[in-house]
Amino acid sequence: MTTEQQIPDEVSQNAMASSTATGPVVVLRDVVKTYDGDSLKVTAIDGITFDIPRQRFAMIVGPSGSGKTTLLNLIGCIDTPNAGQIEVCGQNLAALSDDAITDFRSRNVAFVFQNFNLFPVLSAYENVEYPLLLLGLEPGERRDRTMALLESVGLAEHREHRPNQLSGGQKQRVAIARALVKRPGLVLADEPTANLDSRTGSQIIELMHRVQHDHAVSFIFSTHDPQLISHAEETYAIRDGKLVERHSEPRR
Amino acid sequence: MSRIMLLIVLLGLAARVGSGAKAQAADVPSTETPAAQDLVAAADRIRNPQQPFRLTDTLVEYRDGKPRDRVVLIVFAREEKDTRQYSNLVRYADPPRDAGKMVLLHGSNMWFYDPASKASVRISPQQRLIGQASDGDVVTANLARDYTAKLVGAESLEDADRKDRHCWHLDLAADDPEAIYSRIEYWLERDTDRPVKGKYYSDSGRLLKIAYFHNYQEQLGTVRPTETIIIDAVDANLVTTMTTSDYRLQEIPDAWFQRDFLPRLKAD
Amino acid sequence: MMLLKIAFRNILRNSRRSLMTMSAVAVGAIALIIFGEFMAYLVVGFQTTTVEETGHLSVFHQGYFEFGAGNPAAYGIGDYQTVIGLIQDDVVLKPMLRVVTPTVKLFGIAGNFDINASTTFLGMGVVPSDRSRMLLWDEYHIQRGGGRVPTELGLRDDTPTRGVIGVGLARILGLCKQLGVASCPSPPVEAATAAPDAPGPTVDLSELARRDRSAGQASGEGGVPRIDLLAATAGGAPNVLSLYVSKAERQSVKELDDTFVAMNLALAQQLLYGRGEHKAVGIVLQLNRTEDIVPARARLRSLFKEHHLDLDVRDFTELQPQYNQIVGLFGAIFFFIAIVMGVIVLFTIVNTMSMSVMERTNEIGTARAMGVRRSGIRRQFLIEGWMLGVIGATAGLIVSASIAFAVNHAGLRWMPPGQAAPIPLKVLTSGVELLIVAVWLGLMLMATVAALIPANRAARMPVVDALRHV
Repeated sequence: MTTEQQIPDEVSQNAMASSTATGPVVVLRDVVKTYDGDSLKVTAIDGITFDIPRQRFAMIVGPSGSGKTTLLNLIGCIDTPNAGQIEVCGQNLAALSDDAITDFRSRNVAFVFQNFNLFPVLSAYENVEYPLLLLGLEPGERRDRTMALLESVGLAEHREHRPNQLSGGQKQRVAIARALVKRPGLVLADEPTANLDSRTGSQIIELMHRVQHDHAVSFIFSTHDPQLISHAEETYAIRDGKLVERHSEPRR
Repeated sequence: MSRIMLLIVLLGLAARVGSGAKAQAADVPSTETPAAQDLVAAADRIRNPQQPFRLTDTLVEYRDGKPRDRVVLIVFAREEKDTRQYSNLVRYADPPRDAGKMVLLHGSNMWFYDPASKASVRISPQQRLIGQASDGDVVTANLARDYTAKLVGAESLEDADRKDRHCWHLDLAADDPEAIYSRIEYWLERDTDRPVKGKYYSDSGRLLKIAYFHNYQEQLGTVRPTETIIIDAVDANLVTTMTTSDYRLQEIPDAWFQRDFLPRLKAD
Repeated sequence: MMLLKIAFRNILRNSRRSLMTMSAVAVGAIALIIFGEFMAYLVVGFQTTTVEETGHLSVFHQGYFEFGAGNPAAYGIGDYQTVIGLIQDDVVLKPMLRVVTPTVKLFGIAGNFDINASTTFLGMGVVPSDRSRMLLWDEYHIQRGGGRVPTELGLRDDTPTRGVIGVGLARILGLCKQLGVASCPSPPVEAATAAPDAPGPTVDLSELARRDRSAGQASGEGGVPRIDLLAATAGGAPNVLSLYVSKAERQSVKELDDTFVAMNLALAQQLLYGRGEHKAVGIVLQLNRTEDIVPARARLRSLFKEHHLDLDVRDFTELQPQYNQIVGLFGAIFFFIAIVMGVIVLFTIVNTMSMSVMERTNEIGTARAMGVRRSGIRRQFLIEGWMLGVIGATAGLIVSASIAFAVNHAGLRWMPPGQAAPIPLKVLTSGVELLIVAVWLGLMLMATVAALIPANRAARMPVVDALRHV
């Protein structure tokens, strides 16, 4: 059920012009990313152009080495393209300083990692609270939000546990709670279910769906996991740094 | 440095000018007993000629009665008209290793000259007065100028040759702050005024030296003591004999008493 | 607060490594503090000894300090009693003064002519009661409480002909046995040299000499050994007197020990001035507190100017130039050790923090991805380095306090240079606050600076590369 869709130039231009709260969460135009490999330059992303609509479960799929992670990094503003433009949550990041980009990330973009990436010296509660400290929220509000999220991921009673005292699934739930506690516009997840068994994985997926609806969050995944892919609402197939297929599920 | 010591010893021949004898009243009022100060002045004239002269001085140092050191010096002495002090030029004649060395005493400055290095070194008052170095002062010619004499009385005493002499016993007190000894006991033979014995005391009152004068012979028109025996009262084993001979009147040019002239001096 | 909490927990993460690092800092702190306290003790002890013997300030005739040693008599202070009165009655000086005493220095020949031994001597004339009081000076309380026994003077006001000589001088004059000096070789007997071709004396010299040797110079006064002191008076006359030696006292410098003679002021004046006016060569002032030296000196100067006195004032560092040299040496050694310790702490912390940064590469990437700025990353690691320094230095402070306590109560003794007898070995624990604070702050600063290099590296890490690390 994949249909190739070419995005006409006019549409993409319009899309650029009308990036608002209802516009696409991500806009990519002729994005190129290269890096220096062992002896020659490697082109990871070779001119990609597409939009990702808001509030959808978007998946970037493709074989290993196709550039999925690189693309995710570019979208997540932790990497900068060599050419082309990127707009995230309506913001063009091209001319911003590193500190400005970092601040943008702290507000708008959240990550969920394959290896959970929790801070080992902090408890579950403190891990979840962390992004709020970066934003300078008041202690009262921090506590409210943190507890709310811990409860919504079902880990309120484990809040004092350190990551090494939690199972994989619990850790990923903490990671999700951490990602969402700041109410970002966009959550990027690179292989979020890769280190989980299928049952746990499915629980996580369900959790994320719930969050997507409850909190109006856009999700972009990079994944191999068929179970996750089966929940895709937008699919982007990448091969050799190029978009080769695009599929969109109708909105339910 | 004992060379220097002996040498400086000799320098005692330097001195203050005598003659202005102070007419001091002795405390023995009778006309038979002479004025003490006159006696001292007379003794001064006996010991030293009044005109420029030279003589040969042989010093022998004895320790525990045995001779340890012997030096022969030629001394040139002259009274300075203006200061009335004696200037002395002394030249070592013997032993050969010291021959040619010289000591100059002019005013209150003393210089030592070494022909080998052609350098002259000033000897400070502090450096002159060490141990035996003060022997020469005992033979200092003219006491009448710097000391006030008092007659103690008539005494009989043995001279150096164990002969009895009838003497006037005098007590001399230093007048001048620069006088070497603060007090001197002097025995002069009656009728001849010849000095027989002297005892020399330091500022602290302790006896420093004892001198015996003997071997009187006629020299340059007066009978003078040609040997003086100096006994060190502090270092009891030390005795020095000074034997003077070959007295000659001699005109001494001013240049000889200039320090700068020393290297060119061919004194004889 | 979170920063500190995170830093602390991260330190605990690799507890063995952190412990090693903090121990290095602690050892650095201990070394510097203990050594610093030891040197402070030495300086205080040295100052006490110096002030006991030399006083704080000395008043001389103008020119004496530069030229007087060759000719002390020429630089005497005339009418010194009036000058002393002037100093003691001055309103400004009075509360600062502890002792004001006249002193005489001279040199000459000392001899024990019974055995034909003589040598040069350097003499000091003092007022015994004043000097005894000076020897009790104890501003730093190291005497009685500190275990140091004040030295006995050996002179008394009521025994004017008694004196003290150096052990070396006693040895040269053959008085060891009489003065109870142990292990003293007897002086060599001079080989007799006969004068070549000198005629024998014409009279019996010994008989002649014996005539006047009557009561005169009995050797010793009831067993007390006697020596002759010869010197030139100020007027240039030879002078001699007898000194009855109470004891021999070892001096710290050999040349001094071989020539030292101490006697009552009056006796020294008798020898140096003879029939002239008895002056003083110097007036010694000992103050209650060393820090009063500067105002006291200024006041003395203006006092002398006011009364048109041609007098000069010197302090004990000028009279004992080694004082400043020794204090300076200690300072230099301490500085050197401080640098070494600082470098060690620097390297240790750089190493530890670098390892920490490398191990947390992934975390750094995560934090950056989450929105922590570069400066925030840098700050985090700086604080960790700082914390290692603070904990280590504080631990060092505590341990050094225990060590200081242990050392001070262990009853150790040693003999430093410049001392003639062993003294207690201690470290100074009062008045060293500046040292302790400086060491603590210095090490803390060093640790923080050391963390800067790895912290910068962490901050500059590209996020993507960091995340790629496992």
